[in-house]
Amino acid sequence: MSSEIPPDPKGLDEFDREVLGLDDGLACPYPDYSDGSAEASLPATGKGAEGLERAVWDALYAVEDPEMPISIVDLGLIYGVTVENGHATVDMTLTYTGCPAREMLLDEVETAAAAVDGIDDADVRLVWSPPWSIEMVTEAGKDSLREFGLSV
Amino acid sequence: MATATLGNPPDLSDRERAAIEALLFRLADDEFVAAERYTDWQVRSPTLESDLALSNIAQDELGHARLWYDLLEDFEHTESALIYERAAGEWRHNTMSELPFGEGDWADAVVRTYLYDTAEAIRLEALVESAYPRIRDRVEKVIREEDYHRQHAESWLSRLASDEEGQQRLQSAVDRLLPYGLTIFAPMGDVEADIDDLGLRTETLESMRETWLDTVVPHLEGLGLHVEDAQLPEQYDVHHEAMELPDELGRDGTHTDSWDELLEEFTFAYRDLGRTTTTEIMADPDDVE
Repeated sequence: MSSEIPPDPKGLDEFDREVLGLDDGLACPYPDYSDGSAEASLPATGKGAEGLERAVWDALYAVEDPEMPISIVDLGLIYGVTVENGHATVDMTLTYTGCPAREMLLDEVETAAAAVDGIDDADVRLVWSPPWSIEMVTEAGKDSLREFGLSV
Repeated sequence: MATATLGNPPDLSDRERAAIEALLFRLADDEFVAAERYTDWQVRSPTLESDLALSNIAQDELGHARLWYDLLEDFEHTESALIYERAAGEWRHNTMSELPFGEGDWADAVVRTYLYDTAEAIRLEALVESAYPRIRDRVEKVIREEDYHRQHAESWLSRLASDEEGQQRLQSAVDRLLPYGLTIFAPMGDVEADIDDLGLRTETLESMRETWLDTVVPHLEGLGLHVEDAQLPEQYDVHHEAMELPDELGRDGTHTDSWDELLEEFTFAYRDLGRTTTTEIMADPDDVE
């Protein structure tokens, strides 16, 4: 049974190449996050926000992704911030539905928003639409990811 | 087709709510149980690459199960009641996903993921225009994470089909699993008509089942496998009678004996620790205000 992938790429026959998708430049079938188009209003960065909303955006900038040195705002996870009577509401998505850090990260965001001077409490609303894609990463975020060693 | 958009959970009529719940239980339970089974292969796959792939597919399916269970929690269900304290006969997943793998039979894992993920793609596509916004809003994210599952299964199908022993193993997996795979499209009862009428999905179960058979049968035959008159079971359509559905359909609460064991296994720690609720770090951000 040909159940082992030859270790040497030169040893791959045509069949192996097809199975592995090498000729399609697809050696590792993995979710393709690059085909989404950034919505007109996304990535949201808080540009133009004022007062308390500005302050909440600034606080969210300080929250980093658990795996990579990039702000969650630059990663494009924050879809919106509104403040009403001292109550902040943050709309946020995640890159991956199976994210094991979901509660930890959402808790961190809620805490960061609620800690802003003038904010009494904060809610995070988890949203999945539009689905996150690499196009939602800001230019500054792409620089951070490149520095980290990712090709974006 | 979806003609009207339904409201938020508190604004739904009893009929709407019942139809949405029936749809969600099926989606969530299928994903959760499939994932629980896939983890049987963790550290036992034939290559490190496929071990990683199947573990990752299991993680994806758990993530998707969580998205669908979140929506059930809108209706006052709790995670502990939904997963750790639900009676065996209250689960609605298809029975293919609960079957134990043939011992050491990688072909079983390959055929099973192929059949399941092909069905999954068809049924998610039918939810893109769902009349229920909270389903519609998450389905694209799920679809995007599903594509490579099929690529993985299809590449292994070709690989195994390329020699005689692989062919035999695939054939026996197909013979065993295909009838159970059909239970993915088994109806839960009268509620199916409501699901269609309300526009919660845009394709009926019967139509999705035909699309699925029209996809998987030619594909398997193209690999040199034999699909014994795999047409519609008699229960659905009288013009073919060769393939019979198993006795356990899953959707109606009937399950194979192996289900009791699997349920026992994944609820063991919860019971052993004497838990009555699952642990939460924070209020669920998914709860509707």
